Amino acid sequence: MRRMILRRLMGAVIQLFVVTIAAWFLFYVIARFTGASPAQRIAGKTASAAQIALVAKLLGLNKPYWQQYLIFLGHLVHGNFGYSYFQDRAVSSILWPATRATASLVLGAAVIWLAIAAPIGAYGGLRPRSIGDVVGRGLAIFGMSIPVFWLAPMISYFFAFQPTQGRILGLPILPHGTTLFPITGYVDFGQNPIEWAYHLILPWITLAIGFAAVYIRYIRTLTAEQLSEDYTRTAKAKGASTRRILLHHVGRNVAPTMTVLLGADVATALSGVFFVETVFSIPGLGWTGVYAIENLDYPVITGVVIVCAIIAVLANTIVDLLHGVLDPRLRRVAAR
Amino acid sequence: MTLEMQVLEPEVAAEHPVGLRTQAFRRLRRDPVSVFAFSVLVFLVMAAIVGGPLAAHLTGHPPNATYANALASDGQPIGIMQRLYEANGVTHNPHGSLFILGADSLGRDLLVRVLYGARISLLVATGATAIALIIGISLGLLAGYLGGWVDGVVNRLTETAMAFPNLLLAVGIAVVVGPGILNVVIIIALFTWYYPARIVRSATAATKQMTFVAAARTMGARPRRILLVHLLPQVWGPLLVYATSIIANNILFEASLSYLGVGVPEPTASWGSMLSDAVTSSMYTVDLPLALVPGLALVITMLSFNLLGDGLRDALDPKATRR
Repeated sequence: MRRMILRRLMGAVIQLFVVTIAAWFLFYVIARFTGASPAQRIAGKTASAAQIALVAKLLGLNKPYWQQYLIFLGHLVHGNFGYSYFQDRAVSSILWPATRATASLVLGAAVIWLAIAAPIGAYGGLRPRSIGDVVGRGLAIFGMSIPVFWLAPMISYFFAFQPTQGRILGLPILPHGTTLFPITGYVDFGQNPIEWAYHLILPWITLAIGFAAVYIRYIRTLTAEQLSEDYTRTAKAKGASTRRILLHHVGRNVAPTMTVLLGADVATALSGVFFVETVFSIPGLGWTGVYAIENLDYPVITGVVIVCAIIAVLANTIVDLLHGVLDPRLRRVAAR
Repeated sequence: MTLEMQVLEPEVAAEHPVGLRTQAFRRLRRDPVSVFAFSVLVFLVMAAIVGGPLAAHLTGHPPNATYANALASDGQPIGIMQRLYEANGVTHNPHGSLFILGADSLGRDLLVRVLYGARISLLVATGATAIALIIGISLGLLAGYLGGWVDGVVNRLTETAMAFPNLLLAVGIAVVVGPGILNVVIIIALFTWYYPARIVRSATAATKQMTFVAAARTMGARPRRILLVHLLPQVWGPLLVYATSIIANNILFEASLSYLGVGVPEPTASWGSMLSDAVTSSMYTVDLPLALVPGLALVITMLSFNLLGDGLRDALDPKATRR
C-alpha cells in the first residue's frame, strides 16, 4: 500500500514537472520568436534598444535557457508566477481569487450533475429498455451533444436576459424588468453565501448539463453491471428491498469507480469554465485566461495553465489514493 | 472475439459464411436511429461540399461579402427572410436582396456562412482525426505488440497527456503559433492521438496471445506482416466506434478554439467564430438567430455523430442478443 502511494505521488510530481517545462518552453521560449519578447513587452513600445536590453538583463533573458528555466521553476516553487504584462499586479495575486471562484463553480456543478445523473442512471440500470430508461438515455445523448459555449449564452438569454424584458421562455407573462436570475456578477462565498449561490445557479446548471449527460451513461452501465453480479442476486434472495440493494450493495461497489471518474472530470470541467465564466462574468481562472489570451499576457496565461494543471493532477492523485481506501480489493492487490 | 464467434456457431458459419462485419452491418441497417443519424451526416457532408457554393450562387452572396444595406442605421442586421434595405431610395435588384436566414453583424449572409462553416468543421475534424488515428494506431500497435519499455513509454505518454486540461494547453499553443487552419488541425491531432493509441494497444496486446498469431509466426511471418495483416484488422471494430466520437469531439474542439478566437482565422466562416461573434458582442440578445443558427448546426452534427457511434457500438458488440 505504501509503495503504491509513493509511486502515485512520484507520478504526480513528474507530471507537474512536465507541465512546467511545457509551459515555460511554450510561453517563454517559443513565444519570444513568434511574438514580442518579455523585455519588449515590459519596457513598452516606445522603449529604446538600450532600455530593452537593460530589462532583458534584469529578467535574466541573456542567460542560457536551462538557467532561465531553473530560475522560473525556483520562482514557481515560492509561489512567484511573475508579473502581469497588462495588469499592474503580480500574477499570483490575480490567480488566488480566480482559483476560489473557479473552485466554487466546478464543485457546485459537480454536486448538481451527480444529483441529476444518479437517479436517472440508476433507474436505467435497474430497468433497462423501460420507458424511463429510453427517455433517460435520449436526454443523455442530447445533453452530450450540446456544446457548453452555446448552452451558456442560451441559458443566460432565456433565464436571465428575457425575464428583464418581461418574458419567460418567450411568453410575455412577467412584469417588465423582472430579475429572475442575475445576468452577470459574482459574489464571494465569504461575503454573502446566499448571494454567492444565487449568482452561481445558472453557471452551475450550464456547466453541469453536459457532465450530467455523461454520468447518466456511466452510472447506468455501472449499475447494470453490478445488478448482474451474484451478490446482488443473493441480497435479493435474502429479501432485501430494491432501495437497499441500490444504496447499500450497488452504491458501495459503484462508488470507487465514480470517484476516479470524478477526479478525471475535474480536469475536463476546467475547459468548460472558460466559456461559462466569460458568459456569466465570473472572475475565475477561465475568465482570467481568456482576457490574458486577448492581451497576449503570457505570465498570466502561464499561471492559469500551471494552476489548472496542478488542480487536475491533485484531483487525479487524491482520487487514486481514495480509490485504495474505498475499494478494499485494491489494497490486497497492492499488498501482494 | 471473431474467432470465438465462429467456433461457437459452426453450423451457421458452414451454411451461410457470414462474418462479424457483415452481421454488424446488418444490425446497424436495422436500427432506425443509426440509419437516421447516418442520413443526417450524409446530408451534412453534401451540404459541406456543394451546399455552400450552391447557396452562394442561388442567393448571390459570397460567404465573406459584407452588405452595408443588410444593417439598419443602428447596426441591427436584417432577420430571417428579410430583404436588403433600400439605399438612397433606389430599389435593389430583387435577385440577391433576399437573406433567407438574415445577416450577421457585418452584413454577411448567415445561411451561406453556416453552410461554409460545415465545410470547415468537417475538414478540420476529419483531418485532425486522420492524423490522430495514424499516430495512435502506429504507437498503439507497436506498444501492444512489442511490450516492454516501448509499452512503458507509450503508457506514460498517454497517461501524462490525459491528465491535463486539453483545451487550455491547446489554446496556449494556438496563441503562440498563431491562427491558421493547418495549425488548428495539427493542434487538435496533438491532443487526440492518445485515445486510439490506448484502444489499439490493449486490443493488440490481447490478440497477440491468440493462436492464429502464433501460427502465423511459426509459418515464418515477419513482425511487420503480423502487425499489418494479422493484428491491425482485429482492432477496426473498437476503433470505428471511437473514430465517430473522436470526430464529434474534434468538431467541438475546432469550434471551441475558433470561439476563443485562436482557431480558424477571420473572415473564414466557422461555427465557433460565428457563435463567438454573436455572443461576445451581445448582438444575439437582440437577434437570436445569430446564435441559434450556428449553435443548432453544431448540436445536430454532434447528435448525429453520437447516435451513430452508439449504434455502431451496439452493432459491433458480439454479445448483443438482438439480431
